[in-house]
Amino acid sequence: MTSFVFKRLGQAIVVLIIMSILVFAGVYVIGNPVDVLISPDATQAIREQVIAEYGLDQPLWKQYLDFVGSMSTGDFGRSFVFNMPVGELISQRLPATLELAVIAVILASLIGVPLGIYAGYRPNSLAARIIMAGSILGFSVPTFWIGLMLIMLFAVQFGILPAGGRGQTASLFGVPFSFLTLDGWKHLFLPVLNLSLFKMSMMCRLAAAGTREVMTTDAIKFARAAGIPERIILRKHVLKLISIPLVTVFGLELGSTLAFALVTETIFNWPGLGKLIIDSIASLDRPVMVAYLMMVSVLFVVINLSVDLAYAALDPRLRLKGR
Amino acid sequence: MTELLKVENLRTYFETERGIVKSVDGISFEVRKGEIFGLVGESGSGKSITGFSLIGLLDANGKVQPGSSVKLDGREIVGLPDQELRRIRGREIAMVFQDPMMTLNPVIKIVDQIAMAIRAHEKASDQEVRRRAIEALTRVRIVEPEKKIDQYPHQFSGGMRQRVAIAIALLHKPKLVIADEPTTALDVSVQADILKEMKALVAELGVSMIWISHDLATVSQISQRIAVMRRGKIVETGTVAQVLGAPQHSYTQGLLDALPSRARPGEMLASAATESSGPIVLDDLAKTAPKAADGAFVQVDDVDMVFERPVGRVGRFTQKLGISQPPHAVHAVKGANLMIRQGEVLGLVGESGSGKSTLGRIVCGIYTPTAGKVTVAGRKVREGQRKLGTGVQMIFQDPYASLDPRRTIFQSVAEGPLAHGLTTRRDARAYVNRWLKAVAFDPALADRYPHQFSGGQRQRIAIARALAMQPELIVCDEPVASLDVSIQAQVINLLIELRRTLNLTLLFISHDLSVVRHLCDRVVVMHHGKIVEEADVAQLFEAPQQAYTKMLLDAVPKLAV
Repeated sequence: MTSFVFKRLGQAIVVLIIMSILVFAGVYVIGNPVDVLISPDATQAIREQVIAEYGLDQPLWKQYLDFVGSMSTGDFGRSFVFNMPVGELISQRLPATLELAVIAVILASLIGVPLGIYAGYRPNSLAARIIMAGSILGFSVPTFWIGLMLIMLFAVQFGILPAGGRGQTASLFGVPFSFLTLDGWKHLFLPVLNLSLFKMSMMCRLAAAGTREVMTTDAIKFARAAGIPERIILRKHVLKLISIPLVTVFGLELGSTLAFALVTETIFNWPGLGKLIIDSIASLDRPVMVAYLMMVSVLFVVINLSVDLAYAALDPRLRLKGR
Repeated sequence: MTELLKVENLRTYFETERGIVKSVDGISFEVRKGEIFGLVGESGSGKSITGFSLIGLLDANGKVQPGSSVKLDGREIVGLPDQELRRIRGREIAMVFQDPMMTLNPVIKIVDQIAMAIRAHEKASDQEVRRRAIEALTRVRIVEPEKKIDQYPHQFSGGMRQRVAIAIALLHKPKLVIADEPTTALDVSVQADILKEMKALVAELGVSMIWISHDLATVSQISQRIAVMRRGKIVETGTVAQVLGAPQHSYTQGLLDALPSRARPGEMLASAATESSGPIVLDDLAKTAPKAADGAFVQVDDVDMVFERPVGRVGRFTQKLGISQPPHAVHAVKGANLMIRQGEVLGLVGESGSGKSTLGRIVCGIYTPTAGKVTVAGRKVREGQRKLGTGVQMIFQDPYASLDPRRTIFQSVAEGPLAHGLTTRRDARAYVNRWLKAVAFDPALADRYPHQFSGGQRQRIAIARALAMQPELIVCDEPVASLDVSIQAQVINLLIELRRTLNLTLLFISHDLSVVRHLCDRVVVMHHGKIVEEADVAQLFEAPQQAYTKMLLDAVPKLAV
């Protein structure tokens, strides 16, 4: 197990180094930020001063080393556009996206998994057919359209929920979160629902397929033959047996939602990271893009590592193998 | 003795896409108090479905038909609502299944699985559950039960898992235990122990038992009365002595005649199989057969095989730092020496984990041994060696897994010979047909796919595929272990016939001593990776030298008639 964790950490470092090179190279090939930063009618002296200030006159490899060096000390540079440290900028936006994504994925699991287990348990019932058909809908209808429909219905027609923006926040460990206030929840509801529908469908189908398969195994027959009630069989036997693929998807979805919630954030005008990255791409705000992409890679590496550790927790057979 | 269970006109039908399947079609029998009742039949006879019908555990498309009656202690069970049936299951009728690797949930601790089974029928505190779990495991002779209950199933051997399953079945002291092939997946020595213990437990607790099995010998050992099932019907029922000693029905007689243990070694077995198969046609194949010769044809010298998980650099580094342990290495074969003469059949016998299959694969060149070497006809066997591909062929246990489901029979058989230039595309058809005829398989069916054939037919195809490569040696890894007795008899007959005419050299790996005795010239016994005894068949069975061989021979269940 220890050797496994070390190995994964080593792999993670390699992944991060490769990512940093890719990100840096990729971002530095497109456009010239100086054109965006400085008005065309600025004097040559000001131009050169700005270029020197941001270190843009250095050779690329030097810029890369500087970038890696400062990043390892937690300094991601200053945003060209907002003219403030990138670290600060991201940490301002992160809580908003974090609460949106985490609540959406948890909601998707809490609703999707039980629905899926039911659909897999009674595959021929009417309810199961409705659930499975609904999940296909959840897969195939585009997020932006559902988002717009939700706004139309709840904000415009009924006027019971706000159409966008983040509600009142309360601070927890010094970080502002909106899920601590009622107003915050009102603002959260629609974007969370919108974001979770796709994941819910996925979790649901996965759980249904797993349950159908597990229900035919001898382990379940044996439990039934011992007279164990069906609900306990589903809750204890089935849920544990189907949990590994579910955890995999949970992890991947959490990562991708945190990183790429931008459609929903745009529609609901949610002040999260998705909007920040879109804005920074539009204005060629390199330090923000780079820091953001690096953050995303770290995020995925960490989530995947946790998922692997969760496997070992869920399946005792893997603990032995990892040793 | 009074009767506990009375089954009358039980009919269980399944609705399938191809119409109604009458899996159990009007059977009647009774089980007396304290009795072990054997239910015997080949696969598809409906014996397992009978067991599941009794406790109302059928798949969604199966239904016990109206007019059927199952009375437990005078109480009608058929037609009871699900809730009522659930209360009977585990408390009055319990069940034990065939494969102990599958019946216990791999991700739940033993104690929690026992707890669920206890709480299915009564309230119990955590402490009481623990106490009863320990008591239950003690009853089935699991050592250190206090420690063992907190482990997971994969930490138990197959025999121990089956003991746990039996312990769970006996938790509520049921009136009836239905045991569906409970020892089939176990090694003979473990099987012998469990048979003995089951018998003792039944007597001690006063429960009755239905013992479902395809194996006449084990059934005759454990039960007092038996019923023989075929195609959903009971063809014969009575005491063990009546049914197996003086069978009235030709089917029962056929089953008995198909047993290799009842025939003289090397003799053709009578087969009760109804599966049609053509005559074996060997044309002039026999003329080209090599002559039997003395002296070693296949030579295995000091072969060692160690399986180790690769650790890589990081693993070695963490080992050096002392934060991780070296991986567990498995020493599967230890210093094995053996030789096979040309035209000889050598049996390789051992229990699971003895290393017999590993050695077989080394001889085939599938694995490269860690040390030592193998030569066939003077040439060294190496892994991935192309030329040798035709020299040594293998026949596997599972004919369902060893044929590619997406290729026709012709394609499967022709592939090897074409790749090695034994035939040309133009002549392939005739070439393949010749070998199919040699295994009594109708060449007209060669363009069909494997799923259209039964297990016995598939095993014939697998044999034809091996023969078509004109190998010098064929390694057969448990080729008849997954077949019904009557089909098994056919395949054994085929192998006898083929070796007689084609002078085949075979390495025959098996756990089944009666088959080995019937087919082989010499036998090698393996135990924990070592070869413990080697002798001519007659000598080994008459006068085994090693204690392990004696134990193995004693453990084989014999027909108690």
